[in-house]
Amino acid sequence: MKDDLVRFSLRQRLEHLLVMLLFVVLALTGFPQKFSGSGWARVLVDAMGGVESVRWIHRMAGLAFAAVCAIHLGTVIALVLTGKARPSMVPGRKDFSDAVQTLKYYLGVVDVPARFDRFDYRQKFEYWGLVMGGLVMIATGLILYFPILVTRVFPGVAIPVAKVAHSNEGLMALLVVTVWHVYNAHLNPDVFPFDLTMFTGRISRHRMEHEHPLELARRERKA
Amino acid sequence: MLIVRPAASAFGLMAALLVFAPVPAAGTAEEEIETCLACHGDAGLTKDLPDGRKISLHVDRDAIARSVHGRSLRCTDCHSGMVEVPHPERAAKTAEEFRSGFREACKPCHFDKYAQSLDGVHAKVLAAGNHAAPVCTDCHGAHDVAPAAKPRTRISDTCSACHPDVADTYLKSVHGSALARDGNRDVPICTDCHRAHDISDPRIESWLVKTPELCARCHTDAKMMGRYGLSTNVVQSYLSDFHGVTATLTRSRHNDARSDVRVTALCIDCHGVHDIAKTGDARSPVLRANLVKTCRKCHPTAGENFPDAWLSHYEPSWGKAPAVHAVKVFYGVFIPFLIGGLCLQILLQLWRIVVNR
Repeated sequence: MKDDLVRFSLRQRLEHLLVMLLFVVLALTGFPQKFSGSGWARVLVDAMGGVESVRWIHRMAGLAFAAVCAIHLGTVIALVLTGKARPSMVPGRKDFSDAVQTLKYYLGVVDVPARFDRFDYRQKFEYWGLVMGGLVMIATGLILYFPILVTRVFPGVAIPVAKVAHSNEGLMALLVVTVWHVYNAHLNPDVFPFDLTMFTGRISRHRMEHEHPLELARRERKA
Repeated sequence: MLIVRPAASAFGLMAALLVFAPVPAAGTAEEEIETCLACHGDAGLTKDLPDGRKISLHVDRDAIARSVHGRSLRCTDCHSGMVEVPHPERAAKTAEEFRSGFREACKPCHFDKYAQSLDGVHAKVLAAGNHAAPVCTDCHGAHDVAPAAKPRTRISDTCSACHPDVADTYLKSVHGSALARDGNRDVPICTDCHRAHDISDPRIESWLVKTPELCARCHTDAKMMGRYGLSTNVVQSYLSDFHGVTATLTRSRHNDARSDVRVTALCIDCHGVHDIAKTGDARSPVLRANLVKTCRKCHPTAGENFPDAWLSHYEPSWGKAPAVHAVKVFYGVFIPFLIGGLCLQILLQLWRIVVNR
């Protein structure tokens, strides 16, 4: 539409697309290993060419995910340090007060919802959840990938610790994505059936007024 | 196969000797046995085979009386075609060929076992031309056929005739020694793992990956394991770990190829096969002092810490592997807390939207 605003750059859209695809691949090759006793796991593994190839795909996708994470974090840190981007994902005191006000609004204690900047507290929560969870998955995944190397330095129990953490963190990520992300990007009545912003990079002025009024105001002041 | 031919030339000499003997297959089984024993009761009765060897045709009268068939079967029930004297000529050229034809004799009455044995590795070896492969009578006996597993040690004695090294190793293992020492009824004998008639080739991958099920049959039996103070969690803890997951996920694959390189470590790769020892035994490959060496069979570069990556079939608890248990407990609390909180916020938002309308 004519009055659409640009919300995400090509790099950000590509990063999201890559993480999304890698997440699906990692889940499809990871959970059959976690739930190896169930029938569906065997069907999936056989369809993907056996457990050896499933593990190979999982490790390659994991390495690719680690690379995407490293490139992303490196880029945003460089952009923020050189002043080319605002540290808009960094949580601040306002995010806590926004969360409290939102809950109050939902409960009917206050009449006006919180007004958000570029990213609301839920988006920051999900972003940092992905970053932190991703780092746990990468670290524990590498430990499980190279157990012999790891136990040259660390005690052997590091391997089962990493395995329990990797397996549970992966389950948590899947649950957060299916419950929280699918709700926010698809089922939330504000965006139902599909919030395309992350793919097209564009958002309507109406939604900006509604969802990110502080950012809209700042952008218009600048202009 | 025994091929009955009408003319007798190899038996010519014997036919001349027996030409006045009465014709069997008349009267009772008892009478028939006595008729045959008239000649075959002679300990010196032999036959020259075309390959130059000599086989005994003597039948021990007492063996027949001792056998499970006793005197209820006629000689010709098994030795079909031998109703005339002189006997028809046989096609067998060697002692092995002659002997390997005997399984056909059991087939009419024990057809189920006969059919099973066709799936067995011994039948495959025989079909490939190796006449040393055992047939029914090699394991069960012929005129002295007796219950195969009475006493249970009889089984390993039977197998040891051809597999003496394996049988020796087995008798020194925790299972075999308990059997030999006090006739333990719980420990497995050869046929419990390998089966009796449809014996698989134990070297093929699709059989090997199923061996944990064999161990599980006894090692998940709480009553039986209780008698020896052994854990029944060993199979579950194996299956939920890396090696067990691989075994489970490769079970559906049909690979009849023999492979020296294992797809994953199975029970037998750490504990041994016929030489399984008590885990506390100094010889046991799973004793902590021997464990690095065991791991290095597959992981040649493994260091001293590496074996501790495996919790020795223990479930993590505050007493055993507390770090692993702590991580488990953390996620056990954190995941429901987090997902519950997120669901709650979603419900609150939806409630607000409904109320606003």
